Amino acid sequence: MDTRYEKVDGTSPQYRLALAVLGGLAVAGFACTWWVSQQGLWRTGMNLRVPWGLQIVMAIYYIGLSAGSLVISGLSGVFGRAEYKPFARIAVYAAMLLLVAALLSIAMDQGRIDRFFVQPFVHTNPLSLFSINPALYVSYILICMVYLWALLTERNRLVGGLAALALGWAIAVHSGTGAIFGFNARALYESPLLPASFVIAAIASGTALMIVLIVALFRLTRRRVDDDLVLGLGRILRVCLLAVFYLLVVDNAFRLYLVGEREAGLYYLFQGVHGAMFWGGLVLLACCLPLVLLFAPRTRRSVRWVVFASVLVICGILCERYVIVVPGLTRPADLFPGMQVIGMQSQEGIVGYSISFVEIVQALGVLSLIGFLFLLGLKALKLMPTEARIDLPLVSVALPEYASDGSARGQVDPARRASLPTGGFHGR
Amino acid sequence: MNRREFLKTTGGVVLLGGSCAYAVRLLTATTPVPPAAAPAGAATAPSSTRRWGMVIDLNRCRPDCTACLDACSRENNVVPVGDARWDVHWIRKVTVHDPSGRSRDKHVLLLCNQCDEPPCAQVCPVQATYKRDDGIVIVDPHRCIGCRYCMIACPYDARMFSFKESDAWPNKDLPRRSHGVAEACTFCAHRLDRSEKPACVEACERLNVGALMVGDLNDPDSNVSRAIADNSVKRLREDLGTEPKVWYVGL
Ligand code: SF4
Repeated sequence: MDTRYEKVDGTSPQYRLALAVLGGLAVAGFACTWWVSQQGLWRTGMNLRVPWGLQIVMAIYYIGLSAGSLVISGLSGVFGRAEYKPFARIAVYAAMLLLVAALLSIAMDQGRIDRFFVQPFVHTNPLSLFSINPALYVSYILICMVYLWALLTERNRLVGGLAALALGWAIAVHSGTGAIFGFNARALYESPLLPASFVIAAIASGTALMIVLIVALFRLTRRRVDDDLVLGLGRILRVCLLAVFYLLVVDNAFRLYLVGEREAGLYYLFQGVHGAMFWGGLVLLACCLPLVLLFAPRTRRSVRWVVFASVLVICGILCERYVIVVPGLTRPADLFPGMQVIGMQSQEGIVGYSISFVEIVQALGVLSLIGFLFLLGLKALKLMPTEARIDLPLVSVALPEYASDGSARGQVDPARRASLPTGGFHGR
Repeated sequence: MNRREFLKTTGGVVLLGGSCAYAVRLLTATTPVPPAAAPAGAATAPSSTRRWGMVIDLNRCRPDCTACLDACSRENNVVPVGDARWDVHWIRKVTVHDPSGRSRDKHVLLLCNQCDEPPCAQVCPVQATYKRDDGIVIVDPHRCIGCRYCMIACPYDARMFSFKESDAWPNKDLPRRSHGVAEACTFCAHRLDRSEKPACVEACERLNVGALMVGDLNDPDSNVSRAIADNSVKRLREDLGTEPKVWYVGL
């Protein structure tokens, strides 16, 4: 039996309600953005010293989630893990929408949105990472579209190649995005590690998102997914988290060890809202707790706990994105090392920044819009398999040599394979 | 060829052609070039034989004087909006205090350093920021998309952004500044082009203080070249290789 894909009915009152709520929030977000564009960006609470705020945080968050989702979709096509093929369609679709969300967040954040869609293409500056990256983003979305089309039409020969291309592209896109921050002569930004740690954190957050999304969608539509598939994703997640944690230690050790960087390093770790986000969000939520849950023998075999760990990672990586953007800005440029700088009328020294209500409405607008499109996609396209079982004789035509292998690997002790209606997590 | 195949082939060709054309554009585009037209009212076009630089003598600058700041604000229509978070200062004055108490407080003027290797221009995605032939770094307010990447890249916190518009319009010779674009000190390029001194320099000279001077770095006998040669001068963050063109005496 081959995996069959079916559209979601989309006739239930819950589905309609979700569409209505998401649509409403999206309209509110875009109305708010229009108002800000008329009034000036000061309405967002960003200021001369902290010119990048929540929208940029969200943009790089979406970009990260997108990379991770794409990795999941590539598991079958590129890494020969045929048992994950049933998730490929949904993962590519999510990856594509998430990158659209990132582009929208960036667009909303411009001082002159009207020029944003024209000037970068007319007056491209090849030296600017802000020119290189949008070109990568747009082409990435196009590749995802073609890849999704190939998956939907079962053009299995194309799928393998496209999966590899998309994956390579994703790594370029996300390293490039990390470089926007890392390649700056600004303490707390400047770091050659950033593109790498950016990609790894991205894959972790995207894998976590896929775990939550897959379990939620399959439960809500009463479809069957084998626990072992979800637990397998959990094992991928924990490897990524170990790498995230390692890079985090190296990065901070570097700053604390060098005398010239120490003051900035301590500021990063122990001051302000970002200090709390670092310890509470990045260290605790994104690394320590999930790692414990994903390694402890009792919890790592429970879908419920793996999903919980994934939710923690999704929240924690959002904090990670915040500490990439904000602390490097609230701290002043190092013009007079060791001195205290006091302004007459201007803001000098360390300044404050807090996320404003307006920014939240804008961000929710983007999030709701892609949520809306995601739900529509589930109804319009055959994205979800009727069931995802590990022991199906999956025929991965993309990589035929793996076909027998895939089913062989699928031989799992039936006792370990919990059956759906009893074992597990119920939607939200 | 049936219709489906035809559509597929044409679609593919168009996609491929489009991306190739874009890639070629990316690869062949040159580094930031100034737009052809000189600023309105320019008497002389920016010349490549001159290279403007500034010397600030902190020993002469009076701690509580703000004449240059006020002159800049009036000349360039950079009027405060009444909130330090969004008050743009093309030139600003800060007190540098030594917490160890080993040196006395210094009062330092900060402004765009007109870097010879400007990171702000390097990162501008639309080439709205560019370096003129005479070395002045300018933002084209009609091209800037307001992404604020230049503010991130400037290691001197000298890049400003018009977050909030002010109604005041003291100098009707220059356009009002609109919100949503990046900006910074231009060394009063519009005045230099008609052989006048920048507003801040003029204001300081009017007080007979003479802490500020602007001149041609290419001319070894110019005021700035001599001041740099005769004094012990410093530039900010020379280690970064941005080659700033503002020199400080007494820093
Ligand atoms: S000081 Fe800042 S704004 Fe001025 S040229 Fe240098 S990088 Fe650009």
